[in-house]
Amino acid sequence: MNRGLLLKSARELWPATVLFGLAIGLVEAVLAYVLPTFQEQLAAQWGQLRFLQGLIRAMLGTEAAGALGPDMLLSIAWVHPVVLALAWGHAIVVATRVPAGEVDRGTVDLLLGLPVSRWELYLSETAACILSGLAVLAMACLGNVAGSSAALAGPRPDPGRLTIILANLLCLYLAVAGFTWLIAAWSDRRGKAMATAFALVLASFLLNYLAQLWEPAKRVSFLSVVSYYRPLFALRDGAWPAGDMVVLAVAALASWLAAGIVFSRRDLSTV
Amino acid sequence: MARAALACCASKVMVVCDDIPLLRPASPRYHAHLPMSLIALDSLARFYGRRRGIEDVSLGVPEGSLFGFLGPNGAGKTTTIRVMLGFLRPTRGSARIFGLDCWRRSREIKAEVGYLPGDLRLYPWLTGRDALRIFGAVRRRDLMRRGRELAGELDLDLGLKVRSMSRGTRQKLGIVLAFAHEPRLLVLDEPTSGLDPLVQDGLRLRLRRLAAEGRTVFFSSHSLAEVESLCDRVAIVRAGRIVADGALEDLRRRAGHEVTIRWKDAAGAASLAPPGFLKIERREGAVWSATLEGPVERLVAWLHGRPFEDLAIGRPDLETLFRRYYEGEGRPT
Repeated sequence: MNRGLLLKSARELWPATVLFGLAIGLVEAVLAYVLPTFQEQLAAQWGQLRFLQGLIRAMLGTEAAGALGPDMLLSIAWVHPVVLALAWGHAIVVATRVPAGEVDRGTVDLLLGLPVSRWELYLSETAACILSGLAVLAMACLGNVAGSSAALAGPRPDPGRLTIILANLLCLYLAVAGFTWLIAAWSDRRGKAMATAFALVLASFLLNYLAQLWEPAKRVSFLSVVSYYRPLFALRDGAWPAGDMVVLAVAALASWLAAGIVFSRRDLSTV
Repeated sequence: MARAALACCASKVMVVCDDIPLLRPASPRYHAHLPMSLIALDSLARFYGRRRGIEDVSLGVPEGSLFGFLGPNGAGKTTTIRVMLGFLRPTRGSARIFGLDCWRRSREIKAEVGYLPGDLRLYPWLTGRDALRIFGAVRRRDLMRRGRELAGELDLDLGLKVRSMSRGTRQKLGIVLAFAHEPRLLVLDEPTSGLDPLVQDGLRLRLRRLAAEGRTVFFSSHSLAEVESLCDRVAIVRAGRIVADGALEDLRRRAGHEVTIRWKDAAGAASLAPPGFLKIERREGAVWSATLEGPVERLVAWLHGRPFEDLAIGRPDLETLFRRYYEGEGRPT
């Protein structure tokens, strides 16, 4: 890793990180406040709205069923589409910077003119991505704690269980970042790389949702990264979802490695 | 360090080094420069799919020289530079700087290279000070002191953000960043574009001083006057191939003399047949413009007793040479 490259990445990443962090923190705070506050009204509607049940089951995992309890409400704040979209959005923005972003804005010649190997550059970018991702997730956590503390009703989140959710969410974040790096490593256009990565995570999300309603989709739902992120069980049982986290971590590592190999071998210059 | 052993066999020369395992026999021009070449390109080719970037580039740049790399847009200058800096992998041939392979050892090479891209684009959020701090951290040395000196000489405000800089100011910052670590080799792709004439003069002066200190400057340009006034060696690239490479004076000598003969009257001039060593390019009444091949004495002897009024003999300037290489299918006409 190179200190100068980290310095450059930090200068470039802080506005997006603060923006995404504030947004995700705010959404978490609102959800953590609203859901327990209106628990009774929501529980009354729960049995009548089949569409809502399907949607929430899709978000929480196929095994989630039964009454709308406090754990389920708390976990909705962690699987809400807006929360996931913000976390993934940040991962996509950060992971498309090199090389696609640098080629696209024409600065790659200047960057590659420096005495750094491509792996060194890639490792520095990875470190910047992980650190900024952690910052965004930490802001989400802060928002969740603040919202829960402000709510009059409902349980307070347990720090240990919150850590498990954050670790699982970080693995999900890294898996999305890994796939996005792989796309960006092939690409010379950042917009195209971002659009492709976004389409893939959207497809992954929809596949997970479809699996609740359609049997053929259930058979291939293991392909969706969302199916390896189930905070309900962490909140309910306090158990580490080790299998899910390993799958996400392996997917992240494999795609990160493949992206690094592509990046280190390909021709790069301003187009 | 390279352990060089020269093994001569018949007309071939093989060079064996520690980090250059074996160089295959190449063009005589390449070998002529090899022992002291800082940059050694051998039959270098680079294609973008089916499109040609460069096709056959062989040249050697001696250490301490001011080397002009000339060619119009699309000839392959920037592609050559990008291969040299390890941005592009060569399709064929080899590129070495400091004896190191440009693709595999690019990082070590670039530690000693200052590079100014042709189409310089900088990060919009960057100020000169940020750039010196960040580039210094990447290079693991303090660039601030030297950078400030250079900025002072170029009249550059280091507190200004790139997004509010004019093109010329951005170019100045690019020059500061390329020079600040006092590299052994400067690779400058059209460095004077966007600069005002005074700054251009200052840059030329600085480049001459650097070359005098023993540093090497590889200077790509399509401005003939600039290369002529600055460089001691020149290579001309045409459609991806080197068509001329050598000391500027040698190229001029090889191209012969430019001759203008003014005869006493037009009718007399029309009745004269030029000798074989005088290639007539233009006849305008009593004036002949021609190229002399061979020694001047022959022309003087031929003119003796003939009715000429005035005679001008000189070496062609770079522009004339360049035109001949381009209009004459790669050889001076």
